[in-house]
Amino acid sequence: MGSDFYLQSILPYAGIIIKICRAYTNNQENFEDYYQEVCLQIWRSRNNFNQESDWSTWIYRIALNVCLTQLKRRKKGDKQLVSDVLPEEVIDDSKVFVSDEINQLYNAIKHLSEIDRAVILLYLEEKSYAEIADIIGTNSNNIGVRIKRIKSRLSNYIQQKECSDD
Amino acid sequence: MTKSIETMWKQGFINEPHLTAPKINNLYNRKSQNMVDKLQHMFAINIKAIVVGSIIMLLMMSLIGAPWLGLYICVLLAPLVMIAKKELNKSYRLSKGQSSYDYLINFDHWLQSSIANYARYYKVFYPMFFIGMATQAIISNAGGKLISLLVQTLPTNIMLFGLPYYLVLALICLLLVITKYAEAFYRWDLNLIYGQQFKKLKELITDMEELRNEPQ
Repeated sequence: MGSDFYLQSILPYAGIIIKICRAYTNNQENFEDYYQEVCLQIWRSRNNFNQESDWSTWIYRIALNVCLTQLKRRKKGDKQLVSDVLPEEVIDDSKVFVSDEINQLYNAIKHLSEIDRAVILLYLEEKSYAEIADIIGTNSNNIGVRIKRIKSRLSNYIQQKECSDD
Repeated sequence: MTKSIETMWKQGFINEPHLTAPKINNLYNRKSQNMVDKLQHMFAINIKAIVVGSIIMLLMMSLIGAPWLGLYICVLLAPLVMIAKKELNKSYRLSKGQSSYDYLINFDHWLQSSIANYARYYKVFYPMFFIGMATQAIISNAGGKLISLLVQTLPTNIMLFGLPYYLVLALICLLLVITKYAEAFYRWDLNLIYGQQFKKLKELITDMEELRNEPQ
C-alpha cells in the first residue's frame, strides 16, 4: 500500500477503523490483525469507490465487512480462534485504550450479536438511520426500534456489571 | 449507571488522537506464512489419507474376495506416497530467510514442479489402475457370467486372450482414452481439492506484486 494513500485516505479515518476493530476483537494481536486487514481491503477496493456515498461511509462498510468475515473464519475453526474466546478477565485492553468507562462499554457491546454491534457502533458515531441501513445493507424502517432495544440491553449489562463489582 | 451510553461514548473519545493506529507491518509476511503452512498441512494430510485409504482398500478388497487387486492398488499407491513425501520435504527446505514475496514465488515454483512430477506419475497410475480393475472384473465370477452373456448376444469366433475381440478392443480404446486424459483428470481432481487455496496463493502473489509496483 502506498504510504501516500495510507496517510491521506486512511489515517484520517483511523479512529473509525480502530473503534470497529476494537468492538470485534478481544486482544491486542487480533485487533492489530483486523486493523491491518481493513486497511489492506480499503486499499484493494479503492478503485471500486464510486463516490455515491462518503469516503467515511465506504470505510465503515469495508471495516464491518472485514471484521465480520474474519470473525466467521475464526469461528469456522481457525487456530487463532482461541484468542477470540478468551474470557474477559485475561484480555489485555490496556494497550488500545485507557478509559475504563469505554472499556466497560466495549465489553457490553461485545456481548451483542455481530449485527447489533455494527448497528450500535454506527449509531454512536452519529450516523443517520438511513446511513446505518445503507452500510448494514438493510432498510431503515426498524433501525430506530432496534437501536432502542440494543441501548436498553447495553444499559442492563453495564448496570449488572456495576452491581456485581460492588 | 449515571451516564447514558451516548455520553460515555462521546466523553470516551473527546481526545480522539489517543486512538493511535497500529503500525502496518509484517502483514504479508504473516499472510504468506499462513498460506504456505495451510497448503503444507493439507499436503501432509493428503499423504496420510492415501496411506490410510490404501490400507482400507486392501482390507475391503480382501473382504470381497479380491485381495490381489487390493495389493496391486497398494503397490500402485506406494510410489505416490514416496513422491508426495519427497516433494513435501522439498517444500520444507525452501528458505524462509528471504522476503515474503520471494518466499511465495519460490513456493509457487516448487508447487508447479511438484504438480508436474505428480502429473507424470498419474499418467502411469490411472491406466495401470484401470488395467487392474478391468482384469479383476474379467476374472471375477460376475465378470465371467457377463462375458458369457455378451458372447451369447454377440457371437464371434475371433477370441483374444479368451475374450471376444470387441471387448478387448473396447478395453484398449478405454485404456487409450484414460492414458490420454490422465493428466487432465489429475489436474481436474487437484483443482477440486486445492483449487481454492491455489487461487488464493495466486491472488496473494498478484497483490504483493501490485504493492511492490505502487509508487511510494
